[in-house]
Amino acid sequence: MTPGALLLLAAGALMAGIVSGPWFARSWLTFTLAGAIAGLAAALSVLFGAADWEWWSAFSLGGELVHLRLDGVSALFLALLCVVGGAGAVYAREYWSEETYPASAPRGHLWWSGLVLSMGLVLVSSNGLHFLIGWELFTVCAYFLITLDRQRREVRAAGWLYLVASHTGTVFLFAFFSTLAARTGSWDLHPMQDQAALTPLFWLALAGFGVKAGVFPLHVWLPSAHANAPSHVSAILSGVAIKMGIYGIVRFSGWLPVPAEAGGVVIGIGATSALLGIAFAFAQNDLKRLLAYCSVENIGVILIGVGGALLAVTNGDAPWGRLALAGALLHVWNHGAFKALLFFGAGSVLHATGTREMSKLGGLWRTMPWTTGLFLLGSVAVSSLPPLNGFVSEWLVYLGLFDAATSKGTAAWAAMPAAIMLAMAGAIAMASFAKAGAMIFLGSPRTRAAEQAHECGNFMRAPMLALAGVCVVIGLAPILIWPLVTRAVGSWRAVEIAPEVPAPLITLGLVHVALTILVATAAAWLWRKAHATDLRRSPTWDCGYAMPAVRMQYTSASFAGIVSGWFRWVLQPERKLRRPHGNFPAEAIRLERVPETVLERIIGPVSVAIMRGSTSVRRLQHGRLQFYILYLVVGLIGLGVLVMLGGAQ
Amino acid sequence: MILILDVLLHLAIWLLLAPLLPGIINKVKAWVAGRRGPPVLQLYYDLAKLWRKGVVLSTLASPGFVIGPAVGWIAVLGAAMLLPLGPAGAVLSFRGDVLLMVYLLALARFCTAWAAMETGSAFEGMGAAREVSYAVLTEAAIIAAVLSLSVQSGSTSLVAMLAPAAGAGAMLLAAGLFTVLLAENCRVPFDDPNTHLELTMIHEVMVLDHSGPPLAVILHGAAIKLLFFAVLLTEAVLPLGKLSPAAAAGVLLAGVMVVTVGVGLVESLLARLAFRRVPLLLTTAFLLCLFALLMAWKGGAE
Repeated sequence: MTPGALLLLAAGALMAGIVSGPWFARSWLTFTLAGAIAGLAAALSVLFGAADWEWWSAFSLGGELVHLRLDGVSALFLALLCVVGGAGAVYAREYWSEETYPASAPRGHLWWSGLVLSMGLVLVSSNGLHFLIGWELFTVCAYFLITLDRQRREVRAAGWLYLVASHTGTVFLFAFFSTLAARTGSWDLHPMQDQAALTPLFWLALAGFGVKAGVFPLHVWLPSAHANAPSHVSAILSGVAIKMGIYGIVRFSGWLPVPAEAGGVVIGIGATSALLGIAFAFAQNDLKRLLAYCSVENIGVILIGVGGALLAVTNGDAPWGRLALAGALLHVWNHGAFKALLFFGAGSVLHATGTREMSKLGGLWRTMPWTTGLFLLGSVAVSSLPPLNGFVSEWLVYLGLFDAATSKGTAAWAAMPAAIMLAMAGAIAMASFAKAGAMIFLGSPRTRAAEQAHECGNFMRAPMLALAGVCVVIGLAPILIWPLVTRAVGSWRAVEIAPEVPAPLITLGLVHVALTILVATAAAWLWRKAHATDLRRSPTWDCGYAMPAVRMQYTSASFAGIVSGWFRWVLQPERKLRRPHGNFPAEAIRLERVPETVLERIIGPVSVAIMRGSTSVRRLQHGRLQFYILYLVVGLIGLGVLVMLGGAQ
Repeated sequence: MILILDVLLHLAIWLLLAPLLPGIINKVKAWVAGRRGPPVLQLYYDLAKLWRKGVVLSTLASPGFVIGPAVGWIAVLGAAMLLPLGPAGAVLSFRGDVLLMVYLLALARFCTAWAAMETGSAFEGMGAAREVSYAVLTEAAIIAAVLSLSVQSGSTSLVAMLAPAAGAGAMLLAAGLFTVLLAENCRVPFDDPNTHLELTMIHEVMVLDHSGPPLAVILHGAAIKLLFFAVLLTEAVLPLGKLSPAAAAGVLLAGVMVVTVGVGLVESLLARLAFRRVPLLLTTAFLLCLFALLMAWKGGAE
């Protein structure tokens, strides 16, 4: 079947999912999965085929002819959308089932299919107006999914914040698309790198899409929305929805002429997001907030790669730019897979214990071995450690940066700091996930809820296994996904590149396979050896401490204490400290909480000031007619003066 | 066939020679203090003894407690395999292998921290927290160092990067990498491998609850890591690629000995730093590597 027919099938199945969702849960799942599979097939047929798919219809929507296009870049994102969309639907079947949530689960079905469909529409539409319509639909669907559990106050607040932030971004996009349409005389989107007059529009696109992607100072909506949404929704938000922002940046940096400074600026934004995002993540005590801030970091990694590519464009299309872009696009995929896996894992923990606070968990490995193993796998992948997929994409980005640095041109000025910041972000990411995994799954249970946890069922486990499989396969055989990535890189600025596989990638895959085999062998060998000896079980020795208690375990905040001390200037932690006094101290307290610093310290006060200003202006409107007449007279006199002055010149 | 022999040769060097270094360091320390000290081969005896001993597992520990050290050991060994051994070269060399090496060390760190957290002990939690936190600065220093070698040699493959001399920034790089070596291997002034005060330690405190064969694996891995950094430091600073194979081997051996004795001397002459000063020293190491990077970059531009 052609991509067009497959896309039609996908759209039809998702429509059927929307219609049937509220009433028939089982057929909804079938329809959504069918839609996801058909969409994936369409994306893969474009990625593996040579030609893009393009379709002009005679049908017009909003006065514009429908123009659809699926090329390498959009197909790569579409494939990710279908994988996470399908996996999330299966996961929701158990996680947000109709038995537990009779009111919101049917609504959830409807909005889920709607979200997948509208994001697909954004990806395939090649007309500015339809792009905006799809964008708005997708924002609204995501809003209703975030607020599924709207009885809770913080969920409503998170949804509201998301809606406001998204629309602030959309304002920029309205400006972007309408200026583009005004300058080119058509809403149609296509490569237009030759029109130098369009160059400044890049900044509008960067701001608008940056809000959706959650780059550092614009990320304010992201943590609360991800933390308060149901976990399958957090997974698609983090795995795919924020990538739509990346899609926009990649798409329009490829189709429009870019300013010369764009590369440096995007790398700078990316490196800042990576380092500060992960610093915030490490300091969090709420598991899902940690994952959300970690998404800010990964968006930063992706933008470092995109920035490298833009830098190369202004440096005579150097080959290292393609390498960095390949790394970035592969990281889009990888982050989609492992972050969805981690959010599913977090959901499974939340489902079993009812809390996201890491300091109330612990010791879950006994009751939840599957979740533990899969979360650990996701943690290794997200910390970009070999031999999993996260390392492959970061390695490509690093290679691009190193090559840019060895080229010794001006590009090195941006590449060298970015590489160092990427390394620091990587180290903190590793620390964050060592902390998260250890606090949740290791040690002894800190609360009764953690003691009585239970393993998740098959519907929740299967999508986690599938995503873990994606992480392992891309890690061990990056060669398999390389043609897809080169196809996307090739259609970025519509320049053909040789689709040859870089030799180190094959070697890296082989090394990863060898490493996996060696690790498995060594682990089995040591395990055998330890059990062949005289093995005893006893309480943790802990230097001979006789009565280790549960509350003596290291907590999440103390684990992060050193690094969050270094980043105190940006984290601005709130402290409550009561020191012990006297010979027989009664009680001592030390509490530390990292607030949503950018939101509470910057955006909050600024919005309050704006509201105050607006309220004071409102005093002019009081309903007294004589004053209104005075305004008119003053206004007329003012205009008259203006005209007279203007006329005198 | 030759490949297999090559791998075996490298394995033999790394696995058999590594435990010698801690013995030499202890001998130097004893010599400075005027004691006779333990034999140079003490770690071999310890490893053999531990390998035969029984294991005590914490009731809280999951299988990761035993598997973690095994994975960490393989990761360190894997990083060592990528490092060229003077004239013997590396087992495997490809473009970008330097990054794999850095991240294999990170994998080893993740496994150690994970295994430490298994016990639910506050001491081990403290050690793990310190280990992963200081790693942020050491990793920045290592990346700056390899970036400077990469800019200097115009390559991202370890064999090509380590063959020429480090150029004008060699002394800076040596000082920076030596500090990183001390921090990564938990030597004085960052950590004291001899202390019995758990509160003041990093690495030793993470392995408090390990015993028997897993502890042997951990100690052996730590010895490999020490040798690894000594070789990396020597090769980064000295132009081994320009010497004849025999001379290069000799120089490498001498360099590793100098580094090892240096560690022993530092350990004898310096006291351990207060913990709040550790980040300062690590930042200094990072800055040294960064200046080496800038010199490599400027040097090429002229």
